[in-house]
Amino acid sequence: MGVVVKKVELSWLDRTYVWPVMKGMGITFQHFLKQLFTPTAKRYTIQYPDMKKEMPEGYRGLHELKRFEDGAIKCVACFMCQEACPARCISIEAEEFSDLNITQGFEEKRPAKFSIDMLRCIYCGMCEEACPKDAIWLRKDYEVAAYDRLSLLYGKWDLMNTYTATDGKERIAQDPTPSVPRRTIAL
Amino acid sequence: MDKLASLLHTSPAIAWMVAKLVIVFAGVFSLAAVWTWVERRGSAMIQDRIGPNRAALFGKIKIIGLAQPLADGIKFFFKEDLVPHDANKGLFWLAPFLALVPALMGFAVIPFGRSFVSGGQEYHLALLDPGNGMGLLYPLAIGGMAVYGVLVAAWSSNNKWSILGGMRSSAAMVSYEIGMSLAVVALFMRAGGYDPSEIITAQGGTLWKVLPNWNIFHQPLGFIVFFTCMFAETNRLPFDFAEGESEIVAGFNTEYGSMKFSLLALSEYCHLMTASALMATLYFGGWQVPFVQDPSVMLSVLSFLVKMLFFAWVFVWIRWTLPRFRYDQLMHLGWKAMLPMSMVNLVFHAWRMSQGH
Amino acid sequence: MFITFALITLLGALGMLLQKNVVVAGLCMVAAFFGVAGLFVLLANPVAAALQIIVYTGAIMVLVLFVIMMLNSHEEEAGAARPVQRWLSLALIAVLAFAAVKLVLASAGLNALAVKGAEMPQAMTLQKVGTTLFADHLLGFEVAGLVLLAAMIGAVALTKRNL
Repeated sequence: MGVVVKKVELSWLDRTYVWPVMKGMGITFQHFLKQLFTPTAKRYTIQYPDMKKEMPEGYRGLHELKRFEDGAIKCVACFMCQEACPARCISIEAEEFSDLNITQGFEEKRPAKFSIDMLRCIYCGMCEEACPKDAIWLRKDYEVAAYDRLSLLYGKWDLMNTYTATDGKERIAQDPTPSVPRRTIAL
Repeated sequence: MDKLASLLHTSPAIAWMVAKLVIVFAGVFSLAAVWTWVERRGSAMIQDRIGPNRAALFGKIKIIGLAQPLADGIKFFFKEDLVPHDANKGLFWLAPFLALVPALMGFAVIPFGRSFVSGGQEYHLALLDPGNGMGLLYPLAIGGMAVYGVLVAAWSSNNKWSILGGMRSSAAMVSYEIGMSLAVVALFMRAGGYDPSEIITAQGGTLWKVLPNWNIFHQPLGFIVFFTCMFAETNRLPFDFAEGESEIVAGFNTEYGSMKFSLLALSEYCHLMTASALMATLYFGGWQVPFVQDPSVMLSVLSFLVKMLFFAWVFVWIRWTLPRFRYDQLMHLGWKAMLPMSMVNLVFHAWRMSQGH
Repeated sequence: MFITFALITLLGALGMLLQKNVVVAGLCMVAAFFGVAGLFVLLANPVAAALQIIVYTGAIMVLVLFVIMMLNSHEEEAGAARPVQRWLSLALIAVLAFAAVKLVLASAGLNALAVKGAEMPQAMTLQKVGTTLFADHLLGFEVAGLVLLAAMIGAVALTKRNL
């Protein structure tokens, strides 16, 4: 069905073309002045490397593997996230361990290797949903770039340290307990 | 000036001529280069953006991005200079110069300050001294030559978009030149002469004690016609048919790159400078300072510069306000509005002059 | 200066005749017009020079090039002229050149130049052109205007059959 477009009748002032042009110039000049006298911090443009956008609640950025207070990893290597991952970018290798002095020690498993291929990850957050221990979550960092493909294959320690700078925590690169099979522990 | 001349073993006249040449051409050229930055920054501000502000001298001194033209220049110098395979090589090389030279030459006749006497010698602040017989016919003639740069660039690059752009600009040029010339003729009649210095002298003093005696208050209709035609002359946005990015890629300079492109782009800005200087001279009293009877030389130069740069800014301002006309609308406007309006302006002022005598 | 401008004019004219490419020929013609304008300046007639550039190079040649580009005829005209035509044209050129030289030699201005200390002509100004046109040659001017008007009406009538 066609729509009948009503022709706008222009007044004589508008038909001179000079007056509308001047009105338009007034509008653009208002914008110019407004922009000129707005301090940099309040402008619409966020000048990226110097200023960064505050990401909204629920934004899914780079992953972090959570740890306990004493630095032990929360992950129990249950493989739920690996199963849930639609992009199949998570790969886990589990190991056995126990040491009752440490928080982690109540568990019997932990990941020996935990890697996420950031080039394959689609940041869907399914791993976070699947995790029974709340050990993996997606936070607000979005600056994932590197010079080669291999450096975007994040390992266990990379994932545990992704937000150390923002949180002001210490970087750790070693498990507080060495991995010792239970049967070798003297009873 | 005398001492300098004797140092260089030349007469003061020749030394002054050389100095003027350097001042005018280097001045217009560097202003044009700066204006590329003003255009980008101004357009950004108008559109609530920020624009180029990061180019810095030695990686440290940012000065609100003023180093951008410099960086652009360096970039253009080091880019690969490509000539399309089927282009007409000679003309392809010639075109940027054909575009740049008339754009710079047009400035020669415009007085950018009042003449002064020093050491028994009169110095004029214009490249061509007053009374050269060409007067304001000269910028009109040079403006007519300017279209050849676009035409030759368009034809020699052997590209369909380019040829379309060239054809459009040549047709636009022909339809706007007449209206513009007639508007200027009405000014000649008011001033009783066609030399720019005579036209400026005729604009001294005040009108009804409240307004400066500028031509715009005498002939507003003529000013509108001239102003519009200047946009068509310089191929600037409401009438930028030669380029028309959204329709014909980049028009006449589609095939151009590196230094040749930068010359074409600079020639547009030089043209803009010349056009705004012409408008300041013809309709806004040139170097006359409003309500000041006899301005000093420096004050007159300053006044001229302020007027010229204001109009150069208006060019930028209009460009980011108005959308492009359609090609037939331009022809319609040129032949059915501009030409009759300038005719009416001419006849009305002729009638008024005949009543006055 | 004279030699330079004369050379520009002559080379431009020759180039226009000899160039196979129509657009390049047109540009050569522009160069020739430009040379003629320079000669006008040397003859102390800057007004004529400015008008030459405004009217011929600025308007007429632009239109000519526009038409050339629009038609965009790449094929060269085939077939050489017949020998009779060639000889006839040469003879015509010779006669015209002879007459032109004779006219120039017989003109009063040249004789005045030969006399030493003769007064050089004042530079032409727009005011003088105006008085000449509208006072001395008013009739001729009006007739030219009428002829142009007639031509314009004729052109409109020819192109627009149904007005």
